[in-house]
Amino acid sequence: MKFFFILRQTFNNLWRERTPVVATVLTICIALTILIALFEVSWALYGQLSDLKSNLVIEVYLDPALSEKQAAAIQKQLEQYHTIERIRFISKETAADIFREEFGENIRDILDENPLPISFEIRLLPEYNHPGYMSLFKKQVESISGVDEVHYRHAVIEKLEQITEAIMVSGIFVLIILVFAMNLLIRNTIKLSVYAKRRQIEIMKILGAGNMLIRMPFILEGAFEGLIGGILSATGLIIMHKFIASSFTLVTYSLHTYKLIWVYTLSLGILIGLLTSAGSVGKFVNKIFSKK
Amino acid sequence: MIQFSQVTVNYGYVPGALKDINLQLRDGDFTLLIGPTGSGKSTLLRLIYMDILPSSGTVTVDKWSSYRISPRQINVLRRNIGVVFQDFKLIENMSVFDNVALPLVIEGYRRKYIIRLVRLLLDEVNMLQSERQQASTLSLGEKQRVAIARAMAKNPFVIIADEPTGNLDREASRNVLSLLERIHQNGTSVIMATHDYELIKDTPYRRIYMENGQILPPDRTFSPLNQRINLLADLQ
Repeated sequence: MKFFFILRQTFNNLWRERTPVVATVLTICIALTILIALFEVSWALYGQLSDLKSNLVIEVYLDPALSEKQAAAIQKQLEQYHTIERIRFISKETAADIFREEFGENIRDILDENPLPISFEIRLLPEYNHPGYMSLFKKQVESISGVDEVHYRHAVIEKLEQITEAIMVSGIFVLIILVFAMNLLIRNTIKLSVYAKRRQIEIMKILGAGNMLIRMPFILEGAFEGLIGGILSATGLIIMHKFIASSFTLVTYSLHTYKLIWVYTLSLGILIGLLTSAGSVGKFVNKIFSKK
Repeated sequence: MIQFSQVTVNYGYVPGALKDINLQLRDGDFTLLIGPTGSGKSTLLRLIYMDILPSSGTVTVDKWSSYRISPRQINVLRRNIGVVFQDFKLIENMSVFDNVALPLVIEGYRRKYIIRLVRLLLDEVNMLQSERQQASTLSLGEKQRVAIARAMAKNPFVIIADEPTGNLDREASRNVLSLLERIHQNGTSVIMATHDYELIKDTPYRRIYMENGQILPPDRTFSPLNQRINLLADLQ
């Protein structure tokens, strides 16, 4: 009976304060959608970045005049680096084969000779796959006598890292504002509900109702707002996913992704609503009755 | 038993809402607190259900003492006391049934028991036919009868009635008094504050006269000003 009483009071509060409730639900929905979308975009970018980094090779081109014996000496020097995971030796012939595979032409047929230099493909240990170390490594290797040029695709990585960072920073900034607004709106609806029900609360106190029974409908009100905000957010996100998947054939989403979206948005929504209302209802109840 | 020992109450910077009250109210008694508005009757009653605590002195209600009582214990105390107010304190947008059921819901009784008991109580105050009606649609006399049914719901050891007839006409006031008398005959203590001298003049119950936050000695009457006010009230 107590449970049904609390539930009835909760829905009563929600109906009575329906305009601020709608505003709160929409704010929760927007904040959750941005939060999850931000998380997904960052996750995807991070994945791309990791893929790029793990496939990243540093190409070391030697002076074309060097013999294979001299090249073997340079390889020995490079093998001293403990930051290197693997070194692949590419002879002039192998370089010509790669050229033929990539361009479909034999370089000797075009130039009558093979001008391609001996090179090494170096893969660093994953913990050293960042632009800071790579540029240091490049400088050190370039100073080795016989090394002509050192290449790696640092520009792409740096750009991608900049984009990820910018998205994260601006996203967090927007999120902070939204969380603040969400907190303010939930507290405001709870305050209005408590104020509208001050007489009922007073009567219940006289009849000996405990704090829990008085506060629970307001706490559940916040949780319910979070739940509805979460449902709307999940629905919006799934529609967005389906639209992206139908527009870009390379992007696919599984049922598992949708399940995760439901779990994250609903649990986050309920948690935010519950914590905000639980944190404020006691304060508002005490404030009203301390004025008496 | 309810006991007041050297109780003084000051409201903020206003001293002397009650001054050095010593009083004992025995179990099973029907006690009338009589005095003009502002004499301290409501303050005395609020001390019993510990809506306020004394500025000095001690109030003891059954096994609870104001000297050492926690908020949780105050809730338990209130669940053992029935309170009736001049303004009824019903939840206007709830049905008659739900208003009477409220103390039982608070206590956590089962639904079946609540339905049976609430109907019995509403029948007792002759309000069963209106159980589904919203409290806001009732007449003042009906509201007070519902409030009394609610006060009886927990079978309290004492019912406190603070000017229960203050807003009612003569007939409705008599009905309320006779209801309280019936409750008293069943063994429950009743403490009723009133300034309706006409209503209680022929009743045989213990009378406590109050004026300016003090209990008047049995041999003293009200001050000349209050006597004139009382006379006017009686003539109304």
